[in-house]
Amino acid sequence: MKIVVCVKQVASLGDEVEFTSDERDVDPDFLDYALNEWDSYATEEALRLRESSGDGEVVVATVGDEDAEEAMRRALAMGADRGIRVWGDGLAGADPITVARALAEVVRDESPDLVLAGVQSSDAVQAATGTALAELLGLPRVAVVTKIELGDGTATVHRELEGGLLDVVEVDVPCVLTIQTGINEPRYATLRAIKQAEQKPIEEREPGDLGAPAARVRRMFVPPRGEGAEMLDGEPAAIAQRIKEIVEERLR
Amino acid sequence: MSPLLLGAEQTRETFAGLDAWQIVLWYGLIALSVAIFGYGVARLALKYRRGRTRGPVGRPLERAVRAARIVATHAWIRRREPLSGLAHLLVFYGFVVLFIGTAILAFQDDFAEPVLGFDFWRGWFYLGYSLFLDVFGAALVVGLTIFAVKRGLLRPFRLSYWRPAEPAPALADEAKVYRAGDWAFLGSLFFLALTGFLLEAFRIAADDPDFEVWAPFGWLAGQGFMGIGFEGAAADDARLATWWVHGVFALFWVSSIPFTKAVHMLTGPAGVAVTDRRAGSVLQPLPADARSEDVGYATIDALSPKHLLDLDACTKCGKCHAACPATATGYPLSPRDVVLDLREVAEGAMGNRASLGIPPRFPDRAEILGTIKPETLWSCMQCMACVEICPVGIEHVPIINQMRRALIERGEMDGQLQQTLETIYTSGNSFGEAKRKRARWARDLDFDVKDARKEAAEILWFVGDYASFDPRNQRATRALASILRACGVDFGILHDGERTAGNDVRRAGEEGLWTSLAEENVATISGCRFDRILTSDPHSYNTLKNEYPQLGGTWTVLHHSELLIELLESGRLALRKGLGYRVTYHDPCTLGRYNGVYDEPRRLLDAVGCELVEMPRNRDNSFCCGAGGGRIWMQELQAEGARRPSESRIDEAVALGALDYFVVACPKDVTMYEDAIKTSGHQGEIELRELSELVLEALGPAAAPPPAREAAAL
Repeated sequence: MKIVVCVKQVASLGDEVEFTSDERDVDPDFLDYALNEWDSYATEEALRLRESSGDGEVVVATVGDEDAEEAMRRALAMGADRGIRVWGDGLAGADPITVARALAEVVRDESPDLVLAGVQSSDAVQAATGTALAELLGLPRVAVVTKIELGDGTATVHRELEGGLLDVVEVDVPCVLTIQTGINEPRYATLRAIKQAEQKPIEEREPGDLGAPAARVRRMFVPPRGEGAEMLDGEPAAIAQRIKEIVEERLR
Repeated sequence: MSPLLLGAEQTRETFAGLDAWQIVLWYGLIALSVAIFGYGVARLALKYRRGRTRGPVGRPLERAVRAARIVATHAWIRRREPLSGLAHLLVFYGFVVLFIGTAILAFQDDFAEPVLGFDFWRGWFYLGYSLFLDVFGAALVVGLTIFAVKRGLLRPFRLSYWRPAEPAPALADEAKVYRAGDWAFLGSLFFLALTGFLLEAFRIAADDPDFEVWAPFGWLAGQGFMGIGFEGAAADDARLATWWVHGVFALFWVSSIPFTKAVHMLTGPAGVAVTDRRAGSVLQPLPADARSEDVGYATIDALSPKHLLDLDACTKCGKCHAACPATATGYPLSPRDVVLDLREVAEGAMGNRASLGIPPRFPDRAEILGTIKPETLWSCMQCMACVEICPVGIEHVPIINQMRRALIERGEMDGQLQQTLETIYTSGNSFGEAKRKRARWARDLDFDVKDARKEAAEILWFVGDYASFDPRNQRATRALASILRACGVDFGILHDGERTAGNDVRRAGEEGLWTSLAEENVATISGCRFDRILTSDPHSYNTLKNEYPQLGGTWTVLHHSELLIELLESGRLALRKGLGYRVTYHDPCTLGRYNGVYDEPRRLLDAVGCELVEMPRNRDNSFCCGAGGGRIWMQELQAEGARRPSESRIDEAVALGALDYFVVACPKDVTMYEDAIKTSGHQGEIELRELSELVLEALGPAAAPPPAREAAAL
């Protein structure tokens, strides 16, 4: 069985931030980079499915520049077999739909049995790429998946709903599933494995026609401080008393 | 008869009363005994040769001399256990002298007399020989008696086979087997000594040669037998019977050495000879071409020959069991049990027990990661208390570290540890803070701290994670910066270029991450111009000083206590104020046991006018705070309701009575003990100070205001 996992290198922010001079992005000096948390769960799930099926291939695909290979290498170190990185004009700062278009070309060429992606990325938090990808490929999709059982030509998957509800659905494969954290415990990629993963092939390719961007960033700024916050000062006991009053007030 | 009138007639016949065929039989038994002994020793050597990991063992002559000195003086055996040390000394020298005596007799009977015609075993020599052997035989008995009293009546904790965790079912009865073995060993030596004295007494009672007064204890016993009328032919018959009993048992005993606790007579000195006293502070890198299954110790044959030898050197003396902070606070680990369990696996898989066809105690013959439970391995603080006190040089800490490497390679670890390692990988520090925040602590200083990457500096200060990011530690870090400033020391830091030094990453078993961090730091530091490296973190200190040379980073590294003493002695650190506090000092494991820095912090405390009251567990017997070996990043494992190691330590300090401060010289100690003072229920009774904070206070108000006592106000 062949599984394509879409992964992303995400940026994380400290408690300080400055923007680039055009005010359309965060100054990279203030960012650290890592494999998106959701994607590490998706990768782990793909590896488990491959292991339980006995054989197969896990291909990780990403959209990003050369630096993004570090995150991909982490997925390879966990045990994925090879990587495909798409990069070219029109992809820097691209919106989720554009990214999905670039990924869709990869998935079409690979024609896998299953496509996994994280529910969302921790930096942009739009939760759109996976769904857009399914639409572009014309594949069924299930979002926020917490369990996968593969059947014959179908998969039974658990879908997390709000309020602690669970939806169990049967879906035809191939399909696109976006994976929720907690579905498994991602394995640790030792630094040795990460180093050895440098030997695993990463194919670089350019996107085809990406079409017009679906969205663009006009400006980034720190939102003005809101009004109406009540700052609590004083002795811990007095603060606790005030919190109690506020809670009681709201519950009334 | 006056001794002066002695002639050459004082001697005895070795084979008195034996027929020729009996003498032949005797030599046959000797040959058999030596053959069995030789077979057992060869099997041991073959077992050790099966160890796959290679470690450095150089300078054989130096090692042999060191081992001879340590064994002869009993320096390691006597430590912390003077009575048992004395007992062992008596048994050891009793045994050695009796062995040499037997060898002299064999030389005389089998070579000197028949071959050379030279018969020296008579007259003066004989009498001196008798006296020597008699007295040392008595010493042996006294030593054995002390051991028996210790084991049977005094029963110290270290000799108990209590385990902090449920033993594997295969080992449930092990304590009984071990106890039986201990007593059998003691009893067999008793029996040998006793039959030896009886033999002498019967011989003297048989024909009462008056020169035998030179064997005073035998002579007294002989006189005793004569006193009750047991003499002459009857005594001679008893002598002959005892001769056979003593002789055959002695031969049996010798042949059993490689198979019983007595093996430590061979493996103990060998272990002392090959042990590396720096094995814990300088861990060995993995071979560059290691395959995944070769990483660390997952199977018993992965151990190095030295570590396989260690397993057989253990006498179950329990000094490590008594010293281990994990054992003491109910973590599921005893270093002694790790060694004993590994020995069971080794014996079952490839030792004498395997060669004799005795089924192994563990079903899986070679696998050790299942037998030694992961939680046992993760309990270890890598504090070196066990290695430090082991009288036979067992390297528990590197062995446990190797098993951790295998666990990490398989991805089997505490979730919190995994998260921390991933955080260190992505952010370069264990706090998950942005790199640019590393030098944030310096913002509140009233002067700028140099960027050592851009400007040359006399001292390159490697600050370390805890001293950089932890708010309580930042106060101590700023105190040290202020002192350096006041002393006019030209220093710089690496700012956002510094990464976790990796000491505890390596000790947790993530060798690859340590290598990656160290390579980055070595590259950054190599680009700076400086004379020496300073750090206030003993963990960073250890790996920078002892392990970075493996990656080409060889520098002079100082702990701040060392630099401050140097500044004091050169007059640059001018203390103005005697503080007059009553304090105790906690030796950090990585500074004390790892690197032997015990005196500098104490001298500093003296210099600032503090009265130092030592805790019972001090210097090389210091009790780990519980943070070491990466434990600070893992979930608690101590027994339900048990005190944490750090809380137990605070209890120890408070018991000294009326102390102003608990003084530490390690950022992890600052974190651990600030916490423990609160959780141990001793808040208000004692406060914590980092060494630098006291030194800054002693600099007087000119340098900085004294640190506020805010901990007490909270």
